[in-house]
Amino acid sequence: MTDAPSRSQYRVVIVGGGIIGLYTAHHLANAGAGPILVLERGFLSSGASGRNGGGVRQQWETTATVRLARESVADYRRFGVEFGYNIWFRQGGYLFLAETDAELARLRGVQKVVAAEGLPARVLDRDGVQRHAPCLALDRIVGGTFLRTDGTLYPFPAVWGLYEAVRRQGVEVVLGTEVTGIRTSDGRVVGVETSKGPLGADVVVNAAGGWSGDLSRKAGLSVPNVASRHEILATEPMKPFLDPMVVRASDGLYFSQTLRGEIVGGLTLHPPSGTAAGMPSSPEFLTAMARALTGLVPRLGRIGILRAWSGFYDDTPDGLPVIGEDPRLRGFVHANGFGGHGFMLAPASTRRVARAVLGEKSDLDPAMFGPGRFLGPRPTVPAERLSLG
Amino acid sequence: MASERPRGARFDGRPIAAAPGETLAQALSHREVPILQRSIRYHRPRAPFCGIGQCTGCLVRVNGVPNVRACRWVPSDGDVIRTENAWPSPRLDLLGLLDRAFPHGLDTSHGFRRPRAFTPLYQRVVRRLAGYGRVPDGPAPPPPPGEQIETDVLIVGGGGSGSAAARTFLDRGVVPTVVERSPAPPAVPGVRWLGGTELSFLPGRPTPERPFRALAVRDGRIGVSISARRVLVATGGYDGPLMFQGNDRPGVLTADGALTLSPAGGPPPFHRAVIVGGTPRVAGLLDRWGEHVEAVVAPGPVHGSVAERAARLGVAVYPRTLLLGARGNGRVRSIRLAARGGGVPSTLAVDAVVLAHRRLPNPQLFFQAGAKMEWRSAGGAYYPTLDGCATSVAGLWAAGTAAGFLDPDGPNASGVAAARQVLGGPAGASPPPARVANDGPGELEGYYRELLGQRRGRGKLVLCPCEDVLLEEVQEASRRGYRGVEVVKRYTAAGTGLCQGRYCLPDVLLVLSQLEGRPPSEVGYITQRPPVLPTPLSALAGVPEETP
Repeated sequence: MTDAPSRSQYRVVIVGGGIIGLYTAHHLANAGAGPILVLERGFLSSGASGRNGGGVRQQWETTATVRLARESVADYRRFGVEFGYNIWFRQGGYLFLAETDAELARLRGVQKVVAAEGLPARVLDRDGVQRHAPCLALDRIVGGTFLRTDGTLYPFPAVWGLYEAVRRQGVEVVLGTEVTGIRTSDGRVVGVETSKGPLGADVVVNAAGGWSGDLSRKAGLSVPNVASRHEILATEPMKPFLDPMVVRASDGLYFSQTLRGEIVGGLTLHPPSGTAAGMPSSPEFLTAMARALTGLVPRLGRIGILRAWSGFYDDTPDGLPVIGEDPRLRGFVHANGFGGHGFMLAPASTRRVARAVLGEKSDLDPAMFGPGRFLGPRPTVPAERLSLG
Repeated sequence: MASERPRGARFDGRPIAAAPGETLAQALSHREVPILQRSIRYHRPRAPFCGIGQCTGCLVRVNGVPNVRACRWVPSDGDVIRTENAWPSPRLDLLGLLDRAFPHGLDTSHGFRRPRAFTPLYQRVVRRLAGYGRVPDGPAPPPPPGEQIETDVLIVGGGGSGSAAARTFLDRGVVPTVVERSPAPPAVPGVRWLGGTELSFLPGRPTPERPFRALAVRDGRIGVSISARRVLVATGGYDGPLMFQGNDRPGVLTADGALTLSPAGGPPPFHRAVIVGGTPRVAGLLDRWGEHVEAVVAPGPVHGSVAERAARLGVAVYPRTLLLGARGNGRVRSIRLAARGGGVPSTLAVDAVVLAHRRLPNPQLFFQAGAKMEWRSAGGAYYPTLDGCATSVAGLWAAGTAAGFLDPDGPNASGVAAARQVLGGPAGASPPPARVANDGPGELEGYYRELLGQRRGRGKLVLCPCEDVLLEEVQEASRRGYRGVEVVKRYTAAGTGLCQGRYCLPDVLLVLSQLEGRPPSEVGYITQRPPVLPTPLSALAGVPEETP
């Protein structure tokens, strides 16, 4: 792996070597833009791209997000052939669970949006839920929704495949290098300060995940991105007994059984936000998750937790990612705010990021996805509130 | 602990003849380790290896619950115990053909991609093969009520150092709480002794004023929340792995394992073993098993006490010798040796390889609590950075093997010194003993360099037995430019199995150090994620919610 950049000036510097940064580099290299440099502060997969649960779903409240997800699913289906790494994308479906009529009504609304895009999403009653996941205790469940083409994948090989692909395309990826400042002149980006010295750049892409808010603020930009720590755990491996990813609407409990047989999942707690405290695990999460999981799947009680870890979501106020050039700073392109869903939306979203870098228009509504939406009066466009799982 | 023989307990349909209090693994070991298990990818035969509830060598299904360690399970009346993940039996498993069919392993990262139409089929097959046991038959009984304990001083580990510390506290009028994994009766009367209790998680604190809040599990099922103002970690160590071809074969086991499988005063689980290692510990093992030991093989020099015992017993000694491989049809039948520095390989007929060359620390709690750690080459491991016995975390002290203390006069010295320091004595009042105590590890860096240089590409060398990760896969990751133990762990899945990396990552670190041409300390930390050992969900579910 390269330890230092080979040049002093790049067309594009991408900050963040996670799935968003690497996919953006790939699309840009495909478009012939270069030279391109990806800077990663840690090691490959040290951020959320190596810490997520591998879920890929197309059930969303907003049509635009459904479309990005559907396109991403198509990308992931051909990832192995395209990039040489088997990411084991298994379309076992996503099963959302409702425990109240209000939750079920909300899920029905989601199902309508998804079905309108031609995806086979279905509303389930209790029996339907039981058929898709016989291990669940149904006592509190009133129904749910299911989309069989949703699924799970292994995040790591996706990172390796992209890393090797972009390097073959001539992109430089430099690890262990932190961006400490953004160099600007006359309202536009001219480069970055790094822990290994300054670099010139025409365009800087902020794909720093949980640290993207910190990075934007280093450029003097006020942004609403908030890093929120989410915890996750894996159990000991067992023979397959659960096909879909299961998500409970009430508390955001989600879990799936990986190809290796482990149950991997988490739930939503609200620890203090920000990146300063790092990524520890907490006893509060372990006990809350154990209660939630054994309550819903009682036969897991005697199964052991093998390991627990945590990572950062990069949250925005409206639950939608931020994609596009910042109107306050030319050449500073956002590819962040994915709120814990960067992996599932990466292939399609980064195509739009690449277009923004190249100064081309894309099919994304800037009022919905652009960074400018937080600058004016309160937006009237829809927000994406299905932030679970 | 059962005081009578279990009545009506059955193992794969046959009655179990277990002596009172004997574990299942002990009951099934008759001068040889029992083959209880097949490995996860290639269905290689596996048998008890660590003997202390850490590895994947002896997983069985007990009363409908999978992945129970036979070395920790004491059968009781009516137990129904079965082997899993093998057909018709672990001794003769049809899927063992996978091992022969893929002599160079199965590449799940690059394979199974084409044709795309086969994707669902590949996934079904791989899913069916993965996992060890089936999900439990029925719901777990509701979690027993958890417990909440408050204490001023918490000692983790009731071995020599922990007990010595506990006595020192008592002498000064402080009653500590001692958490000890073994269910044996208290070693120190008068303290609050939590036997059969595993400390799973010791998180760091937001501020030093707040007490530590640790999670523990008692008797494998009761969740315990412990609040402590001061914590002394004396978690000891374990016998580390050694890399050679066939190192995962039944009959290769740690000294810990051989000791726990030998009933008190009874014969060991072998007829003629080779003991690996040259420390005084090996001399003790020779005293115990002398007539059943064929030879002593040491990666480095051999301690005088070992040479003396071996000469007296007529046991051959091979100092500074490479253990190239263990051969046999299933079990170990022979080993191949070569003197270091280009010796001619020779063969020795043995039926067990007992690893006693390397005592590794149990440092998980230091990592979890956020203590500063440092690589110690002579110990071949990460140890907490200490001032006397104080770690970099306020309120957290360390003693014994876990902290790398040599304690030549027995394990007491560092425990006593740590307790005095906790009670406010100056660090120098009772200087802790010298640190770092292994013969092997520093030596092992050079040893592995030679071994890798000699290795020919025939047969599998399983570097991570839990996940069946081969040495070649680690080499391939390195060849592709992936550097550092964290990345290679994610690339190969080495260290992600049930032993949580205890029996592979120390070697992966040394291999990567060679491949990357930099010292192990630069190859990286071995991140120790909670919990310390797999912890049952129902026990954690039963932990009382924190009362403010």
